[in-house]
Amino acid sequence: MRLFRREDLHSLAAPYALDALEPAERVRFEKHLRTCEACNAEVRALTEDAVRLAWSTATRPPAAMRDRVLAAVRATPQVPAPAREHARERTPNLPPHVWGAQPPPGRSRAPRERRPFFVPFATATAAAALVVASLFAVQANQTQDKLDAAQAQSREIAHVLAAPDARASTGKDTQGRSIGVVASAEEGGAVVTLSGYDDLPSDRVHQLWLMRPDEQPRSLGLFKGDTPLVASGLDTSATSLAVTVEPDGGSPQPTSQPIVQLALKSVGFGE
Amino acid sequence: MEADELLVLVAGGDQKAFEELYGLVSGPVFGLVRRVVRDPAQSEEVSQEVLLELWRSAGRFDPGRGSALSWVLTLAHRRAVDRVRSARAAGEREQREARRTHGPAFDHVAEEVEAGMEREWVRRCLDRLTALQRQSVTLAYYDGYTYREVAERLSLPLGTVKTRMRDGLTQLRKCLGGVA
Repeated sequence: MRLFRREDLHSLAAPYALDALEPAERVRFEKHLRTCEACNAEVRALTEDAVRLAWSTATRPPAAMRDRVLAAVRATPQVPAPAREHARERTPNLPPHVWGAQPPPGRSRAPRERRPFFVPFATATAAAALVVASLFAVQANQTQDKLDAAQAQSREIAHVLAAPDARASTGKDTQGRSIGVVASAEEGGAVVTLSGYDDLPSDRVHQLWLMRPDEQPRSLGLFKGDTPLVASGLDTSATSLAVTVEPDGGSPQPTSQPIVQLALKSVGFGE
Repeated sequence: MEADELLVLVAGGDQKAFEELYGLVSGPVFGLVRRVVRDPAQSEEVSQEVLLELWRSAGRFDPGRGSALSWVLTLAHRRAVDRVRSARAAGEREQREARRTHGPAFDHVAEEVEAGMEREWVRRCLDRLTALQRQSVTLAYYDGYTYREVAERLSLPLGTVKTRMRDGLTQLRKCLGGVA
């Protein structure tokens, strides 16, 4: 019976390589993949075959897409690499043979060394600083929830970016800390990132405000670590964004001077 | 530089490397997503999502487990298929209508990358498969149907479809082997 079941699972390798399994089957098969080295090899080979089908479809994307993606990249921190030995718990919703979730052949019990992927000091840019910060913040406790949230967030960010009028802007304070925004006036949406402001007491939060002429600041939400904040429902009269330090949980109105402010004119607001 | 090396640099936060990587993979990613998703606006949105996810998650790429390009395209395919399935679930008929309206205009505008030779080879190799192998593979990969849906559409038993998919892919490998 068990043999039959295994046999049955084996036959899912090709549909799996083609992404042609139902979600529940996909989960079941990926679970099986972790223990079946033969299936892994087969899935990897079949996936390479499937990818050949992808190559032949190559089409030049619209030029504006490049600008949007690169703008987004400037405003988006990276997710740190998982420590390999725990990878399987962290990436179950992506193909394990690609994401490296299964143990390597012949040394499945040996913990693998961490890969030398992080070279932040060689690329000491704002983005690299963000990566380092988020690395320490998230690496210790990377759960599936967080990955799902990160993915959902990528989607929201991508949605703002998909707007034809999406533009990016960054502001720096005197200490080199920065705020980045990608916004679309048409969508009334913005994706905001903070970088370098990690020296916050544990009972304080960074709160983002929308500043409009002759009106009270409107709260756009609280920053959680280095995670970008996605704001929606922005009116075109908005002139700037401001960040203040507030007690945990946030405040209805700012209780302190902004630590950084960014004019929105260059991203199509304030008209 | 090769995509594999670039991806490692990207994982370290190198934006220049990402720009170079974008040049290498955006055509295949966009082409594949467009082939599966069809709708132009949605294709662009999904492609952007994939490319951004590439930036965010570059650290998860493990060079020991396959090429960077196949990692990228597997990710793109997965996202495209997810999108087209949820769109189908949302309203099969509506989607088809939208595609019919948008399809030709979009195809007209789209510029094809000079992937001529590979494209030609894949076409030739697909032609050499049996009809059932070809349909099983392309309905799944290019149109985003599950093997159960493929079986339904072709009125074949599930087991047959699984075998045709597997044989189809292996035949493709044999045929394409020389031009990698």
